[in-house]
Amino acid sequence: MSKILGVLADSLLAGGLYATMAYGLAVIYGVMRIINLAHAGFLMLGAYATLFLFTRFHIDPFVSLAVVLPAFFLIGVALYLAVVRRLPRSGATPSMESLLLLFGLWLVLQNLAYAIWGGDTQSILTGYTMKSISFGGVRVGVPLVLVFAASAMSLLVLTLFLKRTYVGKAIRAVTANRDAALISGVNADRISATAFGLGTAFAAMAGTLMSTLYAFTPDFGRSFLLKAFCIIVLGGMESAAGVALGAFVLALLENVMGAYTPIPTTFQDAISFSLLVIVLVLLPQGLPRLFTRISRPAHTR
Amino acid sequence: MSLLAAEGIHSFYGDVQALWDVSFEVDAGEIVTLIGANGAGKSTLLKTVAGLLAPRRGRVVLDGRDVAGEPAYRLVERGLVLIPEARQLWPTMTVRENLEMGAYSRAARPERAKSLERVLAMFPVLEKRARQNAGTLSGGEQQMCAIGRGLMARPRILLLDEPALGLAPKLVREVFAALKEIRAAGVTLLLVEQNVPHALALADRAYVLESGRVTRTGPCTELSRDPRVREEFLGIASI
Repeated sequence: MSKILGVLADSLLAGGLYATMAYGLAVIYGVMRIINLAHAGFLMLGAYATLFLFTRFHIDPFVSLAVVLPAFFLIGVALYLAVVRRLPRSGATPSMESLLLLFGLWLVLQNLAYAIWGGDTQSILTGYTMKSISFGGVRVGVPLVLVFAASAMSLLVLTLFLKRTYVGKAIRAVTANRDAALISGVNADRISATAFGLGTAFAAMAGTLMSTLYAFTPDFGRSFLLKAFCIIVLGGMESAAGVALGAFVLALLENVMGAYTPIPTTFQDAISFSLLVIVLVLLPQGLPRLFTRISRPAHTR
Repeated sequence: MSLLAAEGIHSFYGDVQALWDVSFEVDAGEIVTLIGANGAGKSTLLKTVAGLLAPRRGRVVLDGRDVAGEPAYRLVERGLVLIPEARQLWPTMTVRENLEMGAYSRAARPERAKSLERVLAMFPVLEKRARQNAGTLSGGEQQMCAIGRGLMARPRILLLDEPALGLAPKLVREVFAALKEIRAAGVTLLLVEQNVPHALALADRAYVLESGRVTRTGPCTELSRDPRVREEFLGIASI
């Protein structure tokens, strides 16, 4: 019984982190129909920025979010204005140009990190890195709990932002139907810049959070990019809740496989990819569509 | 000077030309209708005028200024608003959110509460449905929501693309009654409609579009007596 609780707790905690990581990819894809292949690069840079603030100024990784989030938001906006907006407009699917550009950007970011920090494995050790606490007999690491709290809070703030503010609603409107947003007076270019900033900030935030859990090199983030793909295919892109659901399902599957099957944890990436294939074949529109299909008769759609 | 005019518009979808040298004009306070068969280029023309599609050649003149190629959101700020084909609501946002988003432009935002009150007075059913997702509305309600969203932008000229398409006769009458009310409030209308008898009865002037070209124009009273128009669009054989 406590093993089940442990698996559920681990899945929930990891799911929060996964959701933060995947949302950055989802918001950019949703608004611009571009797959940000540089996502993993920003995630990695977020980890290094946190390392820099930690070693140079002794700023706690969680406190460093106050610097990392706005800084990477601005980097994302600047990058959009300088480069990304010049791409030919993607139709329903991402254009080859956008994939090449952002893949190239990822390589540049990686090599930038190699040039600055070298290829050695880095990690951030704080006073609580090795500590753990127990909830009703389930022991979990303190960093993981803090990571979950930060993720959950960011997703909550994000949901309120998307539901309550004009800009948030405009992001949802452009995601759901770009032309409809344009004819309602939404400056889609400005919303795209905002979304690119937001996506970059969320990638960096995931990097900051992961730096408290894992060691990293300039190659960091690749396997997480794959997981993020899997999550947004599962959860859809229209809401933070959908992304969170997809993230939890993936984390649960990974943990269940790890705890109840002899599959070694090094095969985790294979799990997310197998899931991706299965979902694409059986449920191409993701989990949320499945629910709306059940709750609403077909003729009203 | 007319409020809105198109001058020699050539529009393309990719490499396929959809409009050839199309010109028309709409004066302030008028209702003008564009009629034509499926695929004649009516929707393309509205998209071009509204800024969703840049014309390859030609001018779109709003208040005496060439606005061809300007993005749609900027035309909304100038008072030109499109209510698109198939409504194009945001199905997973509530009716209220759909309406409120209509008042996104800088010009319309301060008037949002007042505009919402007016729209809900015009379409009381939307008040009842305000908290529902727009995707759950019936076809007629969706059309009212789409017209309401357009009105939230405080248009001076409203472009409507087949507002009565797929609606039951009773709802068609309701939609056309709403259009009359909107005109009475001082909004100029440019209407694309398959339902030609209704369109000719409502509008002041009409343009006939055939295979991407304007082939005929005139006051509706005149056009509805034109034997070719009667045969092609009103289903009345000339003797």
